Amino acid sequence: MLARPLKYARPASVAEATALLRSHPGARPLAGGQSIVNVLKLRAAEVDALIDISRLEELRTIAATPDGGLELGAGVRYVELASAPLVRERLPIVADVADGLVDVQVRNRGTLGGNICLNDPTSNFPPLLVALGATIRIAGAGAERRSVPAGDFFVGPYRCALEPGELVHSVVLAPLGGDEGVGYQTLQLARDSWALARAAVWLRRDGDAIADARVVLGCLGPRPARQGAIEAALLGGGGGEASVSAAVAAPLEGIDAVGDSHASPEYRVEMARVYAKRAIHQALAQTEAPA
Amino acid sequence: MNDPETTHLVEVQINGERYERAVQARELLVHFIRDTLALKGTHIGCDTGNCGACTVLVDGQPMKSCMMLAVQADGLSLETVESLSPAGEELSDLQKAFNDQHAVQCGWCTPGMLMQAKALLERDPDPDVETIRRTLKGNICRCTGYVNIVRAVQQAAGQDVSAGIQQEARA
Repeated sequence: MLARPLKYARPASVAEATALLRSHPGARPLAGGQSIVNVLKLRAAEVDALIDISRLEELRTIAATPDGGLELGAGVRYVELASAPLVRERLPIVADVADGLVDVQVRNRGTLGGNICLNDPTSNFPPLLVALGATIRIAGAGAERRSVPAGDFFVGPYRCALEPGELVHSVVLAPLGGDEGVGYQTLQLARDSWALARAAVWLRRDGDAIADARVVLGCLGPRPARQGAIEAALLGGGGGEASVSAAVAAPLEGIDAVGDSHASPEYRVEMARVYAKRAIHQALAQTEAPA
Repeated sequence: MNDPETTHLVEVQINGERYERAVQARELLVHFIRDTLALKGTHIGCDTGNCGACTVLVDGQPMKSCMMLAVQADGLSLETVESLSPAGEELSDLQKAFNDQHAVQCGWCTPGMLMQAKALLERDPDPDVETIRRTLKGNICRCTGYVNIVRAVQQAAGQDVSAGIQQEARA
């Protein structure tokens, strides 16, 4: 298969890249290319030019933030996230998720920024980043930067909050306190494979009670879906088996599940509740660990 | 700053040889390797990034050459299946292992399997069966000859394959 004729540029800086994106409205950023190259081959989108940002060192850093968290450059590849000692140490769930993506070849080339900008409803990182309360740093003209909470960044299927001429610069993650835990559970066809339903959970315990929680479902609608009713049902509870089971039976929000040859929409939604429960227990188990 | 252009001059190192060619921006790396440079060992299987037959090593890392543009390889160092045993030389140990274990049926996936296995063994010279299977996940053999392929990688790693792998894989 052959893409339509197109143009290509490899700018030397983020400022140059955003300038090219502004001056060429039909241009799109090219990072790892593990989705857009197929889109081009299928001629599924009109792209006049690709602005290659994959070698920009500014986007390829994994940095410790002063508060104990992480700033992950948009151009960091999955294999680098999976193997970086700093990520392993501070937020191992991010390394684990990166390590479980697709296959070796995609992990060697695909990037965090590409993953979140594509915002495929089955993608791994969007629900995780919403659960973690991540902040997306966006590069605009020149040295201009703006920040968007992950909860507002994922607008719809294959759509994110980037404006024309902008790029994702990095993902900023707060540190996990000893009283906080993260759970991430996926129903998938096989290891490293296609996901049918997914739940990502962050919670904070205060003494015996759950004091704060974010419960997010993936694969079941246009964007990662925060579950306000489940979260509300968890708050103040002790996280026992019965109370968690009751919480995940709460009405779901933002769900528009689609069926395919693998599973019906009803099955996906039922399994999402099961996986939400498992993710909540996984997160709770971390808060119980000795500080 | 360079404006986007349709044609680019790229310089790549492939199997130790330097090539400089003009490429169209839309040209896939696998087409560049096969059609422009006539290195036909790298295969196109699905053309959609699913099968891994086109896997080559880019700066030592397996990547699908149908999921990269040729212009993205500019300045990089590539290895294709031809690098495993240069013309006129004996097969490499890895290729011999594929031969010994009959890890080839129709052969279409073999170049990708070999390059993936080469990178694995460089990273992890003594991988367990689970690691081999998981690593080969991005390389599909539609003849489904996986047992022999896994066994060939084990042989290349110097492991005893006389007992077969079935029981170990289930353990």
